[in-house]
Amino acid sequence: MLKLENISKKLGDFTLSGISMEIREGEYYVLLGRSGSGKTQLLELIAGLNEADSGKIWLDDEDITFKKIQDRNIGLVFQDYAIFPNLIVFGNIAYSLHCRKTDKPTVKKEVTRIAKELNISHLLNRFTHNLSGGELQRVALARTLITSPRLLLLDEPLASIDASLKDDIKRTFRQLNRKGLTIIHVTHDYSEAVSLATRIGVIHNGRVIQEGLPDDVFGKPANRFVARYAGIRNFFRVRFSKEGLSWKAESDGKLAFNLTEGSYPEEGLIIIKNSAISIYNAELPRDTGNCFKGVVKDISPCEQGMELLVEAGELFYVDVPMNDFKKLQITDTSDVWISFPSEACIVLNGGSV
Amino acid sequence: MSRNSPFNWILLILSSLVLLFILAPLAGMFLHTGGSELLETVNDQEVRASIWLTIWVAFAATFFFAIGAIPLAWLLARKEFPMKNVVQGIIDLPVVLPHTAAGIAVLGFISRDGLLGKAANSVGLTLINNPGGIALAMAFVSIPFLINAARDGFTAVPERLEKAALSLGASRTRVFFTISLPLAWRSIMTGFVMMFARGMSEFGAVVIVAYHPMVAPVLIYERFSSFGLKYARPAAVLFIIVALAVFILLRLISVRKKETHILPDAEA
Repeated sequence: MLKLENISKKLGDFTLSGISMEIREGEYYVLLGRSGSGKTQLLELIAGLNEADSGKIWLDDEDITFKKIQDRNIGLVFQDYAIFPNLIVFGNIAYSLHCRKTDKPTVKKEVTRIAKELNISHLLNRFTHNLSGGELQRVALARTLITSPRLLLLDEPLASIDASLKDDIKRTFRQLNRKGLTIIHVTHDYSEAVSLATRIGVIHNGRVIQEGLPDDVFGKPANRFVARYAGIRNFFRVRFSKEGLSWKAESDGKLAFNLTEGSYPEEGLIIIKNSAISIYNAELPRDTGNCFKGVVKDISPCEQGMELLVEAGELFYVDVPMNDFKKLQITDTSDVWISFPSEACIVLNGGSV
Repeated sequence: MSRNSPFNWILLILSSLVLLFILAPLAGMFLHTGGSELLETVNDQEVRASIWLTIWVAFAATFFFAIGAIPLAWLLARKEFPMKNVVQGIIDLPVVLPHTAAGIAVLGFISRDGLLGKAANSVGLTLINNPGGIALAMAFVSIPFLINAARDGFTAVPERLEKAALSLGASRTRVFFTISLPLAWRSIMTGFVMMFARGMSEFGAVVIVAYHPMVAPVLIYERFSSFGLKYARPAAVLFIIVALAVFILLRLISVRKKETHILPDAEA
């Protein structure tokens, strides 16, 4: 449906370089990246607000690289909504219909219909300066959807929304996607990506560094940056060595990890998910793959319960469910044993960052 | 800082002196003008005609030049082009020129040998000693006020609003008239009022281009040089009253215009 071929664009000191990607019909594609990674610039190139220095953009097999913004039929909802403050809500939503010289009864009918769909009928005669973030978001969405866009681009759509309203807006996005609307959504928020995406692309320093299904991207992160996004905090630079039939990885802190069978480079970076590490207050038989004695250095609440920082030759971050944490009766100076299976050690591409 | 600190007292005294410096001569002029003198001046046909001429010519000059000045201001706010700083410098030039020198420059331009003078002559129009010439002299010295205020107004309009309008299918012209212009309206009107007020009060450039018909500043000068301060004062007071009234009226209209602009689209 949408295809980007080797798109490059220089914007001051920043460059989007060699971006190629394909969005399929009906997909909910989330482009994940930190602020300044180039994701908004990429959206603006797709929408036609800027022109690429090189490369091509195809929409439904038509080259739209230099097509006028007004003729692309791509809807863009801006991060700060870009609501026109000189028009009331009705005027904002009707703007595109006025551009097309639609007759007044149709304008009224269409605006009423879309406002009802998005639950903003009661706002139509309101000025926009005293609307909440969630209301502005819906007005911006209605203003774009009324154009029946072929593709909807959402730029950080949940960044300025109250947490309590986020689920509501997410549900709206999901419903739109389910009705067949193809969506590209850019965000810096991992949880947003996981809860909405059918496919994810991770953008970093102007390059798309990994693409795939959410499980693939976060289950096998291509590098430290993607792993960080998945909430993984255990990274170890290691040297790989083979002892008989089994592989080992020795960290800078001289800790040796047992690995599964396979082929490994000489050096690399391995990650271990916080949730893959188990913690005990007594030593276990050494048949669990990897088991180390350590001391708890810090305890802090996290989404799963408690996050423990354990010094065991290296620093390990371990997520412990609240029930388990209470049972273990751990304090921040407790001696503990941590263990994880060999399969939990994920090797990143050549150990690169 | 304490409310009665020496610093606050110094600020208050210096500020009061500056305000007094502006108000004292004006108050003196008003106090020295009796009601009967003022009434006599109001009934003076020559004075009335000259004030009316000043107002409508200054308004016409502002209105017609705004048609070109506002798009130029948008260009300066939105586009980057070679020699942009030079263009900005040229726009500010009339502000720093002595106004008599500006008058000489305009006179050269509109005299029979000048570019515009020749063109006007070919259609049977003489710009010297003509309201058209006066309007050109007024506009020459006052147009930077409009261009600069409108430019600042357009700069303050977030560019992404214009981009959003484009992405909704609006043409560049439509974006200009429905988004950029309404949002910069207050600044444009401020510039409009400033240009109008500056044009209305212009003496130096106008007197060189057209002694007759007499605009109010020229009439006041003429009365002063021919009959003295006593005869010039009532005309000056009357002109100030009328100018202030027009000035306040325009400011009120510009504020109300902004507020009511937002409504009509609701009925679409």
